Amino acid sequence: MKVLIVEDERKTADYLYQGLTEQGCAVDLAFDGIDGQHMALHFDFDVIVLDVMLPGLDGFSILKSLRSVKNTPVIMLTARDGVEDRVRGLQDGADDYLVKPFSFLELLARLQALTRRGRSQESTLLRVGDLRVDLISRKAVRGSQRIDLTAKEFALLAVLARRQGEILSKTVIAELVWDMNFDSNTNVVEVAIKRLRAKIDAPFGHSLLHTSRGMGYVLEDRGGEAGE
Amino acid sequence: MKNSIAVRLALMFAAAAMVGFALVGGALHRVLANELMRHQQEQIDGRLEDISYMLQHGRTPNLGERIGDKLETLNAADPRTRSWMWSENPAFRYGDDMPEPVAAMQSRDGVEVSVGTPPRPMRVRVRTLSATEARPEVRFMAGVDAEPFSDTLRAFETALALLTLAGTALAAALGYWIARIGLGPVQRLSADAQRIGPGNRAQRLQLPALPRELADLGASFNAALDRLDAAYRQLETFSDDVAHELRTPLANMIGQTQVALARPRNAGELQEVLQSDLEELERLRAIVADMLFLARAEQGVRARGLVASSIAAEVGKTVEFLDLLLDEAGMTVQVEGDAVAPIETSLFRRALTNLLQNAIQHSQPGASVLVRIGQHERSAEVSFSNPSAQIGSEHLPRLFDRFYRVDTSRRNSGENHGLGLSIVKAVALMHNGGVFARSDGGVTTVGFSVALDA
Repeated sequence: MKVLIVEDERKTADYLYQGLTEQGCAVDLAFDGIDGQHMALHFDFDVIVLDVMLPGLDGFSILKSLRSVKNTPVIMLTARDGVEDRVRGLQDGADDYLVKPFSFLELLARLQALTRRGRSQESTLLRVGDLRVDLISRKAVRGSQRIDLTAKEFALLAVLARRQGEILSKTVIAELVWDMNFDSNTNVVEVAIKRLRAKIDAPFGHSLLHTSRGMGYVLEDRGGEAGE
Repeated sequence: MKNSIAVRLALMFAAAAMVGFALVGGALHRVLANELMRHQQEQIDGRLEDISYMLQHGRTPNLGERIGDKLETLNAADPRTRSWMWSENPAFRYGDDMPEPVAAMQSRDGVEVSVGTPPRPMRVRVRTLSATEARPEVRFMAGVDAEPFSDTLRAFETALALLTLAGTALAAALGYWIARIGLGPVQRLSADAQRIGPGNRAQRLQLPALPRELADLGASFNAALDRLDAAYRQLETFSDDVAHELRTPLANMIGQTQVALARPRNAGELQEVLQSDLEELERLRAIVADMLFLARAEQGVRARGLVASSIAAEVGKTVEFLDLLLDEAGMTVQVEGDAVAPIETSLFRRALTNLLQNAIQHSQPGASVLVRIGQHERSAEVSFSNPSAQIGSEHLPRLFDRFYRVDTSRRNSGENHGLGLSIVKAVALMHNGGVFARSDGGVTTVGFSVALDA
């Protein structure tokens, strides 16, 4: 995935560069509006991360000139949590926006969602190690053993399995599983993960559902080691 | 700034006086003019009577000549009155050397004519006597000089105008003086108010010293000061609370990072520290995000993208979301009623989640939460009731204050940094609604409303 980051705050640009590069993206950086506009217009990217407040030329102007030539997906970063900013950004053709301070995981998730959009239908039978999740018949089987899950537990497992290897924050999980689109300060997700873990991991000795402290949860097969 | 009240009052007094004087003056003028007119008329009528008598009763053959002589004498005796006579018969003519009166007599409708040099206006009247055997038909006319009368009237008008102006000026001056005296208490009130400042916020206006008209103003002003004072105090404690909330995670991070860096550590240990730091940072981020949210609501940002939704359905989703927590606490939820209201779904769910979470946190395990949804004429409301210890009435209105805790000693749970109910209030505000809280009979009810015509 080829990403352009237009961000004048060096520390932010640096960690975004490192983080996205480590996720296997090819990342280009621009530190002001003029460079950013030049690169956005003259090179092709899969997605552009665009700060609103930039020296030289602000993000809205770059977005405008970009939209007159191409449809590269754009995520706007805004420090002011003003509704006006969002509405304006979305009206001008931004595909998404994030309010600073945002979490890197959330940015990653949104980038993936944007570039995944419009791709072919994903498989309906997901495999994580010896765990199989059938999205059509809504069945989960580990090894040869059928696992009994409630509807919500299955929804949670499906969300994790669809994005196996990706760390999903509690906010993202709450949004995808319960349609709760806000920071909720509840420990619902912890409890749900705990219960899911008791069903899909505990009886088998080899964990697939991992906690990433301070970040979220990830479903992946990390090889043969037992437990966490 | 607007004109001073005293000046405005003085001008209004002056205007009122002027209208009064003008009305009285107008009436007097009319009376005087009528009187003068009547007086002129009487003089003319007297003269006409005399001539008429002579013409009716005279029997001498040269009657015209004799009457002419008589009129000549009368005209000479009083130069301010004059008489004329005209007939087909030249013997019965007098004063026919003056063309204007003769024309007036012939046309029979002259009221005022000019005679002499320079011409002086005269008020005249014409009478006709039909012919007798002694004489032909005769018309005759008498007039009085109108000038003295109009001079009198003009002098009166001038005096009236001058008096009106003088009276108006006097009324303005008196009005200004009265207003200044009358406004004395306002000046004292102002001096009183100037003494109030951030240094002595407890200072209030002295109500007993105020006249009745200003007592209401003073009371409202004092009440406004009370409200401002409360808000000010809340803001003071708010900054305090914010600093406190931020201090704990910051102290944790600084401390454990320092400890970690004090010795060489392996990657696993450093990872541990970073993870712990990240948890604290998430906490900080959540607090900052919530405070920005509250600030936006207070700055007047309103909900957008309103969708008419069933509140019971939204409560259902919220219960589903918190189902696991309810399950862990062995609690159940009952929903009564429904209403459809225009809401911004994610904001509304956030408020419902906070309320239900609040009910769960403050209930004993196994308790039941009752959710009531009601629809009124202009608003819909939803409330959560749970069995709990009585909350003092002094706490109820403040439950929605940021960081407010009924039990001040209770430690921050870390899960909900004391902003949950303030967010409910902000959401209500964003939907042009309000919040309420009740506590009696071992049941605490907390809820909010949203406007239906948002």
